[in-house]
Amino acid sequence: MSAAISQTTSQGLSNERAARSLRTAAPWRQGRALYLAVNIAVLIFLLVPIAIVIVFALNPTPFIQFPPVGVSLRWFEKFFASREFMHALGFSLEVAAITTACASVFGASAALAIARGNLPGARLMLAVVLSPLMLPAILTGLALFQTYVLLDVGRPVWGLVAGHTLVTIPYVVRTTLAVLHNFDLRLEEAARNLGASPTRTFFEVTLPLIKPGVLAGAIFAFIVSFDQFPVSLFLVSPGSETLPITLFNYLKFDLDGTIGAASVVSILLAFVVVIALDRTVGLRSYVKL
Amino acid sequence: MRRAGTGSINGLAFFILPSAMLFILFFFLPIGLMAMMSLLTGNPVVAPNVAFTTRHYGRMIGDPYYLEVIWTTIRIGLLTTLIALAIGYPLAHWMARIKSRAGHALLLMAVLAPMLTGIVVRTFAWMTLLSDKGVINQTLISLGLITQPLKLMYNETGIVIGLVHIYVPFMVLTLTGVIGRIDERLEQAAENLGASPLRAFLEVTLPLSLPGILAGSLLVFALSISAYVTPILLGGFQIMTLPILIYQQISANFNVGFAASLGMVLLAVSLALVIAYNRVLGLVSGQHDLQ
Repeated sequence: MSAAISQTTSQGLSNERAARSLRTAAPWRQGRALYLAVNIAVLIFLLVPIAIVIVFALNPTPFIQFPPVGVSLRWFEKFFASREFMHALGFSLEVAAITTACASVFGASAALAIARGNLPGARLMLAVVLSPLMLPAILTGLALFQTYVLLDVGRPVWGLVAGHTLVTIPYVVRTTLAVLHNFDLRLEEAARNLGASPTRTFFEVTLPLIKPGVLAGAIFAFIVSFDQFPVSLFLVSPGSETLPITLFNYLKFDLDGTIGAASVVSILLAFVVVIALDRTVGLRSYVKL
Repeated sequence: MRRAGTGSINGLAFFILPSAMLFILFFFLPIGLMAMMSLLTGNPVVAPNVAFTTRHYGRMIGDPYYLEVIWTTIRIGLLTTLIALAIGYPLAHWMARIKSRAGHALLLMAVLAPMLTGIVVRTFAWMTLLSDKGVINQTLISLGLITQPLKLMYNETGIVIGLVHIYVPFMVLTLTGVIGRIDERLEQAAENLGASPLRAFLEVTLPLSLPGILAGSLLVFALSISAYVTPILLGGFQIMTLPILIYQQISANFNVGFAASLGMVLLAVSLALVIAYNRVLGLVSGQHDLQ
């Protein structure tokens, strides 16, 4: 760890420091090597499980076996031929699509109101709309489940979508606020000065300018909804379950390559979406905790 | 230029209404109902004679089994947090200090990739790694290092490994933000004054990153005590944590009142942790919100 700091000092070495760095070069190099070794080990820890999923998705043995004995697509065939999995995949995509649309509209409008509406208590409202991100999603699921039981509405799809929308709104709010933070208000004033109505200014200036932020948030919302587990756990009804719930139920009893194939499909989906995000709006500015 | 607090509210303020309605109906009302259910003897819709009671909370406190469950949850959360901090700090430091843009982008991708992989998928991955016939045990046996498979799964070890993997990205991203704000020239100044790099780190960078350590730890702890999938699958249904108990009370016992009271305990703890997290990060960045 110490060696990384030494790296930063390479700029503007004085003679005296150069002499000292020569004296201590060996421990620095050892420290630097240790620092890199630790970090690479952590990266391996982070990435190996994802790689291993792909290995087992392609390994043809009926049980999890290591080292893998070959490459086959039989688990993908089984996954795509399974009515249960296909139904779950379709349902998940449907729920994620509706959730994304709802979260984008609700989240973007909340961000606009908070950033630009001169609302009293805007900070509190921000804390409220961001709170599902921090509070356990399992509680959102539990509370909604109890409410639906009390109101005797059963387990409707709109109830599931409402739960998903709640936990995805924060992502849209944050990415939209990030854009609004750098928003040049003079553009709106210019439009108004040139005779555009407030409504036209909104649709032709404000909306296009915040679009990248909303889009980034929408993509996060899609992934979060598609992978969402704790809220769905309480709110899905038997027979129409989302893919993570179906995978979970399968995993309780079977540990074979079908899960691997299903996992690879959902990983690929997430990656396609993230690469699309990076290409369209850039990733770095939105990833802040 | 209008700023919040100056001038009156304008048309855009009304844009808060859809979200406000959604949060009132699907967030505050349900949590309020959960609080109410935790204090009632039964379901007021179907049972005519429901009364207020504290017996659900009394049951939790009075029975050592439930206290043990809460303690297990906290113990797993603490271990997860400590390990996530230990392995997350070096990576966060690297991310914050790396000069090359491409290098930073690659590290960011590596940290985000697990976050973008579903929890069930990642737990499955750890099951294939940790089980008796899993990758780690098979490799160690074929290398002749062990003869009997190590018990890596269906115990707390497995749960903690899985949880660390799931939540270390949150630790890294929180820490990177805080370490990135520390002026590198402070470290250089310490070294110019004769401190070794290690000492400069220990006496300058580490103390200045304490708020990040605290915030990241609060976040990871809050997330890991509310985890469900990983503890149940990697614990092999053997180890009971608070979220597992909550779901069990709903699905197996249909004891909504007791589940609600357990939920209220989890909510209170999480709320306290989240408020503390925001305070700590607010002190660093000079603002009290999350963005």
